[in-house]
Amino acid sequence: MSSDKPNAMPTTAHIHFDVERLELPNGLVLLLSENHHTPAVSINAITLTGSRFENDEQAGLASLVGELMDEGTTTRTWKQLAGAVEAVGARFRTFGDYQVSGAQGAFLAHDLSLGLDITADVLMNATFPEDQIQLHKGRRAAQIKSRLDVPRIQASDAFNELIFAGHPQHRPAIGYEATLANLQRQDFADFYRRYFVPNNTLLAIVGDFATAEVKRWVEEIFGRWERQDNFQPPLIPPVKRQTEALEKFINAPKEQVNIFIGHLGIERKNPDYYALLVMDTILGSSPGFTSRIPRILRDEQGLAYSTYSNITASAGLDAGRFIAYIGTSPDNLEQALSGLRREIARMAQEPVTAHEVESAQAYLTGNFVFDFQTNAQIAEFLIEAEVYELGFDYLQTYPERIRAVTIAEVARVAAHYLAPDALTTVVVGPVDELGNVISQT
Amino acid sequence: MLTTSPPTTDSQSFLTRGVQKRQLANGLTVITKERHDKPVVASIIWYRVGSRNEELGQTGKSHFLEHMLFKGTDRFQKGEIDLLTLQNGGANNAFTWLDFTAYYFTFAADRWQVALDIEANRMRHTSFAPEEFNSEKQVVEEELRIGLDGPWEALENEVWATAFRQHPYHWPTVGWLDDLEAATAADMKAYYDKWYHPQNATLVLVGDFNTDEVMPKVEALFGTIPTGLEARPLHIIEPVQKGEKRVVVKKETPVERLIIGYHAPAIGEDDAYGMHLLETILSTGKTSRLYQRLVEQDQSVTSAAAHYHDHIDASLFYFQAELKPGFALAAVEQAIYEELERLQNEPPSEAEMNKAKRQIEADLVLSNEEPLQQAILLGQYETIAVAQRLPEASRGYHYLDTLLERIGAVKAVDVARLVRQYFTSDNRTVGYLVKENANPASEATSTGGAADEQR
Repeated sequence: MSSDKPNAMPTTAHIHFDVERLELPNGLVLLLSENHHTPAVSINAITLTGSRFENDEQAGLASLVGELMDEGTTTRTWKQLAGAVEAVGARFRTFGDYQVSGAQGAFLAHDLSLGLDITADVLMNATFPEDQIQLHKGRRAAQIKSRLDVPRIQASDAFNELIFAGHPQHRPAIGYEATLANLQRQDFADFYRRYFVPNNTLLAIVGDFATAEVKRWVEEIFGRWERQDNFQPPLIPPVKRQTEALEKFINAPKEQVNIFIGHLGIERKNPDYYALLVMDTILGSSPGFTSRIPRILRDEQGLAYSTYSNITASAGLDAGRFIAYIGTSPDNLEQALSGLRREIARMAQEPVTAHEVESAQAYLTGNFVFDFQTNAQIAEFLIEAEVYELGFDYLQTYPERIRAVTIAEVARVAAHYLAPDALTTVVVGPVDELGNVISQT
Repeated sequence: MLTTSPPTTDSQSFLTRGVQKRQLANGLTVITKERHDKPVVASIIWYRVGSRNEELGQTGKSHFLEHMLFKGTDRFQKGEIDLLTLQNGGANNAFTWLDFTAYYFTFAADRWQVALDIEANRMRHTSFAPEEFNSEKQVVEEELRIGLDGPWEALENEVWATAFRQHPYHWPTVGWLDDLEAATAADMKAYYDKWYHPQNATLVLVGDFNTDEVMPKVEALFGTIPTGLEARPLHIIEPVQKGEKRVVVKKETPVERLIIGYHAPAIGEDDAYGMHLLETILSTGKTSRLYQRLVEQDQSVTSAAAHYHDHIDASLFYFQAELKPGFALAAVEQAIYEELERLQNEPPSEAEMNKAKRQIEADLVLSNEEPLQQAILLGQYETIAVAQRLPEASRGYHYLDTLLERIGAVKAVDVARLVRQYFTSDNRTVGYLVKENANPASEATSTGGAADEQR
């Protein structure tokens, strides 16, 4: 079989779902989509807050608020909350990430009203019991230590500290041992009261239900939640991309060296996002090992099991990061570093081929359907469509935008958004601080 | 008194409703399930060969072979399978574990049949070019090194290697490094010739297609492949363990870890169903016994879990716990024993039993929305639920038809009896993972991951 030519450019498989959007008088945005194939419902309740709104001294605050929301409310103890969910075999978690916090649940269809009731309870009535705060802080301190057991995470954390210096994203959302100790019950309660308000919250419900009935339930249960008219999210000043190359070598007694190379990335709303998706697919993110970095460094040179790159994957409300990653044996350190840097430079400086662009477009448009396989995926899409103003016609506009990307466009964005002369390199493994491999006996 | 209605059969019919099974004349089993709600098709082919089928000195071959099936055939050059996947907007991968190796594709419904073409070809026509073999050997070794850097993997490997003395569950799926280094392309080809045949394979298709239209195509592509030699059944039985085994792994780590493994029944044994319930009662959710005891009450761990997976042969039911600094492995170990003791003396309440049954039932629905997930579940049980002890109505993928009924029939006294019978000190292997410079007085070993080895 010849695969020199992509199959003409396959059409995007037809996917369709209806969405109903409404805003409650208190500002809560409700997004509903029925899907009757599976007797289940996913609930995504998302408040637009997270560790981007905490300061350095409070690192870890938002993620602990997220974790503690289901550890007690004015109407239920943690045991009653967990007991109600688990008795019906449902899944439910609360969380605080970098830019969003809230609750996610999956319930069998006949348990949806219980799911809504519990979701509302944790969003509106969390009490942050002192004994639970102590428990979570103690556990968190140990989790922060155990991150050192995963060299890839250790390298990623160190990389973020450098490229996001002075910006909230330099911190791990999990926080630091030193800042955890500072956090008091009042801090959790204040953060919760300030940000968890209906006019800062989106509620997506997807699955096997009747829209009219669920609308009534939501209006009744969430309608009581009081609007905060003076709510304003803080402004986060953007960070500047570095202008010089930086290197950091961290010693850790491991079998492999874990390497991150890159710099500041882009915001999700950047109009060049789509051209950069095509670039990502050509350079380092593709199924199997077709893109350049995995094809050359893994499939041809056998340097690694895991190696990839991307800039769009971390694009959010704030600019994310451009990264190239590899985990390899210390003996391969030089070859891996030069290979990643060479491919980044080549992408930034030389045009890609028509075949590469066409293949990437065929992949991105053809694979799009797989983003909408589950209720949870559709709920997540509805939230993103709202946050990034994608429009619910995104199912049509996305393939059009991808198909509109040209070779020249890829060359322009690669030259603009990649800086091969100003890369940050972080290496974690059996190396000294100058990057010399320390031989292990 | 029942406080909730008994579990229904919704989830089992959700999974097996509409499933058709056929066998080609050459022995290939074909399972199809049409689903027309989304325009996608998942295809997955299973081979009943995994690290269970390997020999000492040649461990890791099943997994290495999985990698080689992407490295070129007589029709598809190296990289071409991935390129076809890219250009058709699909995804592919493969995984190997103790009992099986499986390869999958997901594509949009208007172009998925390229998957059939690839699988039919690479079942018998993989090339094993020496230069590809040598370069991929490095990749597999790098994959193994990721595991060596992982504290759980290190401990798990040691516990299974200690608990299993004769049975091939002794070694990890990825194999031992020295065996990988010694492997040759000729060995690999011989192993491939032994196991990759229609009668040792199951093809599963789930999604938006018409079975009557697809079967002639399957027949045309796969029907001409020779049946292959019938695999001799393995006769490897792990002798009964007579006395506790303990193992210590030293590693530079900021947190200590514990694994306790007990020899437990194989898939389809009467006691296996109760073991699944026990796993849920002990460790699913915050109201589970281990969470309540270790996380909430003792506050001695960051996480604790119980695991029991279906395997062709008797395997391990194991516990794992990651300790908070300042707590002693021996104390956490003791707390787990106390909880097991408590289960014998105070069997679970009706509500606790119903909760666990509900959790298992709901999980089958909530975890299997996607065609690929359903194809994996159907193929996995078709491949491992093969013992004669399983009645016809529960054999192969039909295992899923009766699973909830069998679990529903387990009573609290049965759970207490299982704990008494299996969770004895003589039947266990205890693994401690301790800091490099620590000097544990008398300590033991590891955790097993359910992690498949993906390519």
